[in-house]
Amino acid sequence: MLKRLIATTAVAALALTACSGGTGAGTAGGSGGGGEPVKKIKLVAAEYSKDNTAAFWNKFAAAYKAKTGIDLDVQVVSWDDIDQQSSTMIQNNAAPDILNLNAYASYAKDSLLYSSDEVLSDSVKSDLLPNFVQSGTYQGKMYGMPDLSSARALFYNKDLFAKAGIAAPPKTWDEFTADAKKITALGDGTVGYAMPLGPEEAQAEFSIWMFNNGGNWKTDDKWTINSPQNVDTLTFLKNLSVTDKVTQNNPGKTDRTDGAFPLFQSGRAGMVVGFSPLAATLDKDAKVQYATAPMPTKAGGAPATYGVTDYLMAFKKPGNQDAVKAFYDLYYSPDQVNTFIKAEGFLPVTESGVKQFSSDPKLKTYLDTLTGAKLTPTDDPNWDRVKLAVQQNIGAAVAPNGDPKAVLDKLQAQAESGG
Amino acid sequence: MIRSQARSSGSGAGAAGNAAPAPPRGNRPAAGSGRTEVRVAAALPWLGPALVLIAAVVFYPAAELVRASMSDYSITGLLKGSAGLSNYAKVLAHPDLGTVLVNTVVWVVAVLVLSLVISLGLAQLLSKEFFGRKVVRWAVIIPWAASLVITARLFTLLLDYNYGIVNRFLIAVGILDTPIDFLGDDRWTMPSMIAVGVFVTLPFTTYVLLAGLKAIPGDVYEAARVDGASPRQAYTRITLPLLRPALLVASVLNIIYVFNSFPIVYTLNDRNPGFAHDTTITFMYKLAFKSADKSVGMSAAAGVANVLLILVVILVYLRVSRWKDATE
Repeated sequence: MLKRLIATTAVAALALTACSGGTGAGTAGGSGGGGEPVKKIKLVAAEYSKDNTAAFWNKFAAAYKAKTGIDLDVQVVSWDDIDQQSSTMIQNNAAPDILNLNAYASYAKDSLLYSSDEVLSDSVKSDLLPNFVQSGTYQGKMYGMPDLSSARALFYNKDLFAKAGIAAPPKTWDEFTADAKKITALGDGTVGYAMPLGPEEAQAEFSIWMFNNGGNWKTDDKWTINSPQNVDTLTFLKNLSVTDKVTQNNPGKTDRTDGAFPLFQSGRAGMVVGFSPLAATLDKDAKVQYATAPMPTKAGGAPATYGVTDYLMAFKKPGNQDAVKAFYDLYYSPDQVNTFIKAEGFLPVTESGVKQFSSDPKLKTYLDTLTGAKLTPTDDPNWDRVKLAVQQNIGAAVAPNGDPKAVLDKLQAQAESGG
Repeated sequence: MIRSQARSSGSGAGAAGNAAPAPPRGNRPAAGSGRTEVRVAAALPWLGPALVLIAAVVFYPAAELVRASMSDYSITGLLKGSAGLSNYAKVLAHPDLGTVLVNTVVWVVAVLVLSLVISLGLAQLLSKEFFGRKVVRWAVIIPWAASLVITARLFTLLLDYNYGIVNRFLIAVGILDTPIDFLGDDRWTMPSMIAVGVFVTLPFTTYVLLAGLKAIPGDVYEAARVDGASPRQAYTRITLPLLRPALLVASVLNIIYVFNSFPIVYTLNDRNPGFAHDTTITFMYKLAFKSADKSVGMSAAAGVANVLLILVVILVYLRVSRWKDATE
């Protein structure tokens, strides 16, 4: 009995610990280049939406097969799971040929990836928007090929603005605070601004405010997380919640998709930072009268836009170079890439895409600023850890007893020590 | 991957089956040397499949886990070489380890004690004949039948600050003026998780105790009544002592399940940054995938420590509770 129990205990405990521990076998990553040409390649893609992602990639696989005769094995994985799945694949020496993720620099650092010189045609590369090429470039070579992009803007509820007697969206932070106070004063649980600084995507929320106070994560290749502007920005965000009380309860523990967005969608939040997929949802619900505006800046200067792009990176495996190159050629043909981006409600990554999308008046706010959009330093492998540290820590700074400077100092130290 | 946790925590039924009484000692083979060899050889074909299974699902993963815990992995998952014991050192030096250990003790002890106490009452109720008992028995089983992830997600909706029905109800009946942030307020997070933990632990515990109650022969009570024992005396002098084996089985298995419970702690706590409300199991997961450590090796080291920890806890518990006396 006792032995059995111990065995049961061990099984129960191991069954789960073992999975997370993973079964690392061998060092991943072939030499690349050489070898017999492959007959089949594998794509692991992130799921942007249930309706469109798998549908697009399956159609794409058929087109790819028709064009090249090579099979494309498509595996669509949810954003919740893709980090651990990709990590497990690499531990098990079973990397896919193409991986779609929001980070690439660590993979480039581990020498697992093809650079654009090896797998991207010149015509394709010259069509990519320069700021995305730059964010995809690690140590002088481009490894992170952008698949799509998004830009953030301030969403505001027109009904609540009218009720509170606000004529135009705020241009400065002082105006922003004043407007948020007026909306909160409407009562009935209405909040001026829905602020998601919870672990889901805190780095995005902080970035957009930081950029509009002249701050940045890195300046001249040095980490500047605890710069005076950034401390100022985080203190401003803390005050919005703690002293002005114009945000929802507990912004440091509110995520975007299940916290801030639903508040705005239900008409209870006056303002939120959103992106085009949120607009699509709002249009579909037709419940909230909203409009978008550029972010307010601290002193009222030219607003900065926060842009995000995800990547399609190619793993070096024997014999797959030509197949991978053909994959990119096909993906970046306007019919494919723009169809995908349009269906998912995101923004283009190519010059030709910007031209094609500019006919849509709804996207104008974003497209005008896309080429100048600032990104997080995804080209630095340390960012992959810093981002996680930001997600897990920055929320604490906006709690009533939070200390913005201490939190940013800690993050700065962590970034400088290599993540 | 880690989702299998849900199953392992939820599979009380299978493990409960394992807790059948050990065979009587008298059946042990005689110590004659020749006969024993023949017996072992003859037994192998029958034992083989089970041995292979145990090797595959217990020893192989255990060996891999230990190996991973002593390896150095890049953030991408790439194996970079051996790490010796440095992963263990890093886990031990982790600034949040103390919080996590305290949380784990609070979580396990609170869920275990509360669910045992409530289950004792429920089992007593369910052992009585009354109208609709069948319906009530089924109702008690339902939380057990539902997937833990679904149950936990449901509770995040019920307990939500902005929309949760629990807050609405408490405000509507006048108990509260302003909503409570059950899952965000640091004072409420652990109690909320414990409440949900008790909710999903009750069915299994109740049924183990119910089986124990059924095994107590009625004539013992009859004799006690004849001797003039009060209901209270009958409960403390007969029911509780005779329930001891069932209580032990329930508590040992619950310690294991509750300790290993991932879905509730993870799901109810997933909007909270940092490790303030994590137990060793979710700590291990976050080390691998969510925290800035993002280290497979450290996570594996924490996993090995988890296994050792639970083994030690169980052994101590069995020692203290004199398990052998109770079951033989």
